[in-house]
Amino acid sequence: MGSHQPPQPWFRVGTLLSEKRSGVLMICSFLLPILIYSFVAYCPIFWGHAYELTIAARPDDKVEFGATYTQGFSMEEDEFTRFQKAIRDDNEKLTALYQQGDEADFGMSPRAARSHNKRLLREFEPVLSRNGLFDISVKEEMETKPYYQLLYGAAYDTWGEIATGKEQLQKGSLSEENREIIKKNWALLSSVSETYDSGKLYSKPIYKLIPQGNKQVARASWFPAPHQIIRRGWEDLTGKSELGDLNVPTRYLQSLKIVFFGFFVACLIGLPLALLAGTFSFFSRLIEPFTDFFRYMPAPAFSTILVVIFDIYDQPKIALVVLGTLPHLILMVANTTRMVDQPLLDAAQTLGARRGTLISKVIVPGILPHLYNDLRILLGWAWTWLVIAELIGAKSGLTEIIDTQGRRFHFDHVYPVILLIGITGFVTDQILASFRTVLFPYAASEKKGILSFAFAMVHKLFKSKKATS
Amino acid sequence: MSQIIDLPDYKEQSPEVASYFKDLKNRSKVLEVNRAGRVFASPKGEIEALKDVSLDVYQREFMTVIGQSGCGKSTLIRILAGLETTTSGNVLLDGEQITGPGSDRGMVFQGYTLFPWLTVKKNVMFGLQVSGKAMAECEKDALQWIDLVGLKKFANAYPHELSGGMKQRVAIARALANRPRILLMDEPFGALDAQTRAQMQAYLLEIWHHIDVTILFITHDLEEAVYLSDRILVLGANPGHVQEIIEVPVERPRRPEQFITAEFLATKKRLENLIHVSAPEHIDTSKMLGMG
Repeated sequence: MGSHQPPQPWFRVGTLLSEKRSGVLMICSFLLPILIYSFVAYCPIFWGHAYELTIAARPDDKVEFGATYTQGFSMEEDEFTRFQKAIRDDNEKLTALYQQGDEADFGMSPRAARSHNKRLLREFEPVLSRNGLFDISVKEEMETKPYYQLLYGAAYDTWGEIATGKEQLQKGSLSEENREIIKKNWALLSSVSETYDSGKLYSKPIYKLIPQGNKQVARASWFPAPHQIIRRGWEDLTGKSELGDLNVPTRYLQSLKIVFFGFFVACLIGLPLALLAGTFSFFSRLIEPFTDFFRYMPAPAFSTILVVIFDIYDQPKIALVVLGTLPHLILMVANTTRMVDQPLLDAAQTLGARRGTLISKVIVPGILPHLYNDLRILLGWAWTWLVIAELIGAKSGLTEIIDTQGRRFHFDHVYPVILLIGITGFVTDQILASFRTVLFPYAASEKKGILSFAFAMVHKLFKSKKATS
Repeated sequence: MSQIIDLPDYKEQSPEVASYFKDLKNRSKVLEVNRAGRVFASPKGEIEALKDVSLDVYQREFMTVIGQSGCGKSTLIRILAGLETTTSGNVLLDGEQITGPGSDRGMVFQGYTLFPWLTVKKNVMFGLQVSGKAMAECEKDALQWIDLVGLKKFANAYPHELSGGMKQRVAIARALANRPRILLMDEPFGALDAQTRAQMQAYLLEIWHHIDVTILFITHDLEEAVYLSDRILVLGANPGHVQEIIEVPVERPRRPEQFITAEFLATKKRLENLIHVSAPEHIDTSKMLGMG
């Protein structure tokens, strides 16, 4: 069946690949960088391991372990092992003391022992809240003392349930070792009271829980894993993160406003000038040499001047985008205008068209498809000025998130914002590019973008469905 | 052995043809060119493109300008259109000196010059609209001209949807819609394949037969020149100058069968002599042979 065509080579000078192959490569072009990033992010050989504490503890040795260890604290592997060993040593000492019987000196008063025991109950809080047995948000509405009473009570009860084997904790939230410790503790605690009562708390120290932690790849902070970026990005975008005032959607609108407003103003000033320069040699000689010079002065160099003139809010930022885009716009569009087909101008003149009609009826419609392309490219330019623009005066927009979060090493907040800017610019460009074929069906189309490729695929699918039905 | 036909003198005219030319020259002159010259300035000095070119074109005449490439044919027709200026001499249209391009001289170019963003109808309407006619009238006129060139079905098509021949038919309709005094055609069929070209020649004669229009036509195709024209102006090169103006002794109406009549062949032979006689000057064959 079918004709036996020799397989087309993938590599051939000056030959375009088939649509299908182009599509595959287009997808690979995005997939490849993502895969490389993911590989580096998830591969431990680049980073080693670390433990993020889920159950913290306080070793007696305050010299080696001087920090305050709380839930979420990250430790390298060997430090974590030593940390666990320190607690086990503390417990062994305690076992030895209990074996001495009544003469044992625990080194603390009954009062100190009770507060030690309370602290151990308190350190059980992460396990409770992870299993939905305690709601820490009530802390905001309660006085400190009753809150802790509630917390101690919940921990006390849970320990009792653990000791009698009735509890249903999520798998992995408590190690077997710690279960045994809790059983031992419960034996001690329940000898005084089956329920929590601050007056009737066991007055000798109980055993400490061995620290537990989640084993993780110890990535550098500037290299968050893809899943972290996606999760954090989603939280930021939906307003569920701790960014608070730095709300991504409103910041995004601010940034869009700067870019599009700046671009719009640049067009308003630049297009008439460019059109004149492209049409009349007089204006070309008058406008273009200085514009050509001006574009070599970097727009950000004017930032302080712009702030003095326009104050610190949106205006200087828009002005900077205008300053950065305008010279390129004038030169580019003037060039495009000059490229209008001379024979078309000749023909129009022999049909009676004069200066005004030539511009409005031949030059403008003649360059429109190219002008559209130019403006698309220039909009991309406007995007590149955004970050610098938003840093001048009062920081604003998405850049403020990048700047403030970046300074705190919260790069998992930074990456989603950078991606958002990239995606916006890219998608806008692709949409505009695919509109071009609709707006100017007579103009030669350029290389196919992702979107037009997707459209073509959908169209094909639709067609084949129609054919089969 | 093949027989070589004895061709008559191309200047011999049958009584019908003679009276046709007598009648033609009694008509008013639409276009008068008096000792027109054009010098271009270039970094290497001045280049004289045209020198002392004089010609008259009569009402409803079909005149062809023929010559080697680079002899200034295009410069001449652009001067007539007003797209180029003379550096000496003058050009009169209906006795008045021309100063620039105008709708009284329609032009059809070799390349396709339809506005790609306009439909066929809007292209033909372009000149009418520029002249300030009412929209409805423009549209009615345009449709008539489109019908005349046989493209009624394509009135709403865009130029990129048309074949080369169709595009040139629209270009002719567009130029004629302005009712110009003279239609200037700069190698309009040069880019077409032989078959389409023959069709277009027939079309053009048909249109010219029906419409009162004077045509000045540029070509480098000798047969095309003889087949279409009343008179042929042979332009010599370096600088462009009038070599001869030939009155074509072939009777009208013209038909493709006339390509092999004695008068036709005699005229073609004369053109060949005029145009190709100067060719060997440029190529020194003795030198080329000497190389071997």
